[in-house]
Amino acid sequence: MNRQIRRLGIGLLVLYAALFVQLNVIQVLRADTYNDHPENSRAIIRDFSRPRGQILAADGTVLARSVPVDSPFKLQREYPEGELFAHVTGYFSLNAGADGVERSYNDALAGHTGERIEDIGELLLGEPRTADVSLTIPADVQRVARDALGAKRGSVVALDPRDGAVLALWSFPSYDPDVLSSVDIDAAQEARERLLADEANPLLARSYRETYFPGSTFKVVTAAAGLASGSVSATSPVYPTSNAYVPPLTRQPIRNFGGGTCGGALPAILRVSCNTAFAQMGVDLGAETLVNTAEDFGFNHAAPIDLPAPAVSPIGDVASFQENTPVLAMTAIGQNAVRSTPLQMALVAAGVANGGDVMVPHVMREIRDNEGRVIDNWEPTNWTSAVRPDVAATLTEAMTAVVEQGTATRLAVPGVPTAGKTGTAQLGNGLSHAWIVGFAPADAPRVAVAVIVEAQPGASEQTGGQVAAPIAQTVLAAALAANPE
Amino acid sequence: MIPVVQRLRRNTELGLILLGAVVTAGLYTLASLGTTANVPVNIGPFLGVVLALLAGAHVATRRLAPASDGVLLPLAGLLNGLGYVWIARLDPDLAALQAVWTAVGITAYVMTLVLVPKARDLDRYRYTFMLVGIALLLLPLVPGIGKTVNGARIWLQLGPLSFQPGEFAKIVLAVFFASYLVEKRELLGMAGHRVGPIMLPELRHFGPVLVAWGTSLLVMVSERDLGSSLLFFALFVVMLWVATERLSYLFVGGLLFAGGAVAAASVFGHVRQRVEIWLDPWAAATDQGFQLVQATFALAWGGIAGTGPGLGNPDRIPLVETDFIFAAIGEELGLLGSAGVLVTFLLMVGTGLRIALAAHTPFNKLLAAGLTAILGIQAFIIIGGVIRMVPLTGITLPFVSYGGSSLVANYVLLALLIRISADNAESELQAP
Repeated sequence: MNRQIRRLGIGLLVLYAALFVQLNVIQVLRADTYNDHPENSRAIIRDFSRPRGQILAADGTVLARSVPVDSPFKLQREYPEGELFAHVTGYFSLNAGADGVERSYNDALAGHTGERIEDIGELLLGEPRTADVSLTIPADVQRVARDALGAKRGSVVALDPRDGAVLALWSFPSYDPDVLSSVDIDAAQEARERLLADEANPLLARSYRETYFPGSTFKVVTAAAGLASGSVSATSPVYPTSNAYVPPLTRQPIRNFGGGTCGGALPAILRVSCNTAFAQMGVDLGAETLVNTAEDFGFNHAAPIDLPAPAVSPIGDVASFQENTPVLAMTAIGQNAVRSTPLQMALVAAGVANGGDVMVPHVMREIRDNEGRVIDNWEPTNWTSAVRPDVAATLTEAMTAVVEQGTATRLAVPGVPTAGKTGTAQLGNGLSHAWIVGFAPADAPRVAVAVIVEAQPGASEQTGGQVAAPIAQTVLAAALAANPE
Repeated sequence: MIPVVQRLRRNTELGLILLGAVVTAGLYTLASLGTTANVPVNIGPFLGVVLALLAGAHVATRRLAPASDGVLLPLAGLLNGLGYVWIARLDPDLAALQAVWTAVGITAYVMTLVLVPKARDLDRYRYTFMLVGIALLLLPLVPGIGKTVNGARIWLQLGPLSFQPGEFAKIVLAVFFASYLVEKRELLGMAGHRVGPIMLPELRHFGPVLVAWGTSLLVMVSERDLGSSLLFFALFVVMLWVATERLSYLFVGGLLFAGGAVAAASVFGHVRQRVEIWLDPWAAATDQGFQLVQATFALAWGGIAGTGPGLGNPDRIPLVETDFIFAAIGEELGLLGSAGVLVTFLLMVGTGLRIALAAHTPFNKLLAAGLTAILGIQAFIIIGGVIRMVPLTGITLPFVSYGGSSLVANYVLLALLIRISADNAESELQAP
């Protein structure tokens, strides 16, 4: 039997050698593949336990930091401003991953950029060089935006038209990122489920991830298309004074708000937000001109903001308007085929304010390593050239008149020439979204703004001017003060 | 000559036990530092208890089997300690129970040495062991005392106590097979029929083995305990082969196994599912494959050196304290630790087979080989299952996994191997 016993030994040795080979495959050869697998949460858990940089507002207010906790994870993210910056910083969650700046700048915050290894000890210890991310948003401007909007669903976006720096990015309702980022996984999961079940959808960053009918604020784009095409100027054509416009291929007339009568040249029709005239302008220009100009402002593309998953503001393609002048007419006044994020409408205002160039919007101002050295700062870049400077100048003049004597008088910042355009996107059930876009100072713009207040009672053109304009005015004033020349 | 060998072996044993206790206490401290950032408050008493338990076993061995092998007990103690550290790190409540089971296991070890002064004594109770073995296998099927846990009906519930009789059945049946096969091995080894190059024995000699083996397999399948079925199967085939010295039994056994596996996979849904998950756990990464996928993540995350005790996340793996404890150790000690566990089992297997080689009677030889095969194959089945070498079948990792029945049964197995090694040394003395 001894021979068999020896062979049994050899057999078991071979089996165990096979186990050892397979262990090497799993633990060494293929380890990286398994570590990067999407179902594998260990990397998140690792980052959870590691030092992580801070997120700071433009004025230095701490928006996110890691604090020690009595838990196996050792560290927990803390958001001292609570819901105020939730849609900007996002959260850093064990169960839900990360969102906002926590996600888009994760490598810098966690120190995974892999640069600047300065000595061999650092290389061996793998000490992460965490970095702090400073934002372009001053905490007080964001706070003013929150307070001005109050407990109404909607959004406020303000940015510097000259370099695309975001100055306020608020939407209501918001949420507290602290709970979601808790090391208490059950509490975090419960909080997340509660937020997901909430009909008001607080997790949704309406400012850059939700689209709405832009209503009459879109007339700025229609006017820009007309001016750019050369077929419209400040003085001609003079649109007929009328209370209804019937586009070709339909008998359904487009009417003015409250059944009013209006008409005239561009400044006049913009001032009173004349539906009949802009509908006719859209039809006269044709789908190609209107869609091209809208796309030049950024429609049909996701705004390249440095936050995760921004929404596309769609207007459809030229072909979808073929033989469909009624839809074209409605689209020219911001209904039907066109939808926009609040951020995109702010970019329209900013493009006009910046002489026709739309800058890439961004929330990151600079990144400093843990020894305070700047390792990255934002280089302003042009996103699109929407219109020529002379077109922008004409639009600015017309929009200034809207604030001086038109529907947007409540946007006027005292002592500062202000340009703007109201909007009321009808929802068809007696409710409408109240909109306003604008910028100031009109002669040397430093702040552009867009405000939407969702589902307000009433469907007159006054809604935007009454509800949204005062909010935008407060934010404009605060942003101008915080963003000097 | 004997007193010198005895002293040498016992002192080696004591030294290795001390080394194992230091390793265990060190890992226990590190795991506590990893999970709570504190040195465990009970580290003093802990080290004391570990040492007391193993020293108890050592003293008993000194008195009851002084000439026995000096390596097996420290190796078992090391695995036991390693398992305890991870059970304590994963679930302190289970750890308290495991400590009690360790004490029971060591008591069983001592009792076995007391009750079996010579391994050949077991030979006398051959059919008693057969009946006891079959009874142990059948007990969980008895209504009222049988209990189903995680889909397998392998538990006995007697009042507050529950245990898996199958863990003991494997030892008892190994004794029966050693005894029976040694007597019949001449007959079984004779070629009755010849099919090509393969010799087949007369069916009437082979019959009883086939029946016992078929019965136990049937019981296993009806209890849904695939791991134990596989272990029994391999044990029978190996013992038959070693006893008869006929390679044909290995071939026939292999063919029977392949046929049985294919049949089981086509007939039983739960068997087929195991095979599918084995082939591709990633397709079901969030449900049936979750456990295997998480174990793979754990091992991969451990890499070469591991995260350090208490610093990994093995608690994401279901059943990590029992069937999957190897993955927890692999994550926190890395390839170095997981390979260390493999080496420890290989050392035990090597020592067990050396004892078998040195045995002076065929019964002792076959029993030692069988018991060693149980240990080596069982560890292979579960480690191979966890790292996807073979389909996963739930079974404990000897001495390491949480589980009272398993721990106590394996200490009994250890005592029998120790007893055989003591017999070897004593007959060497008597031999001229």
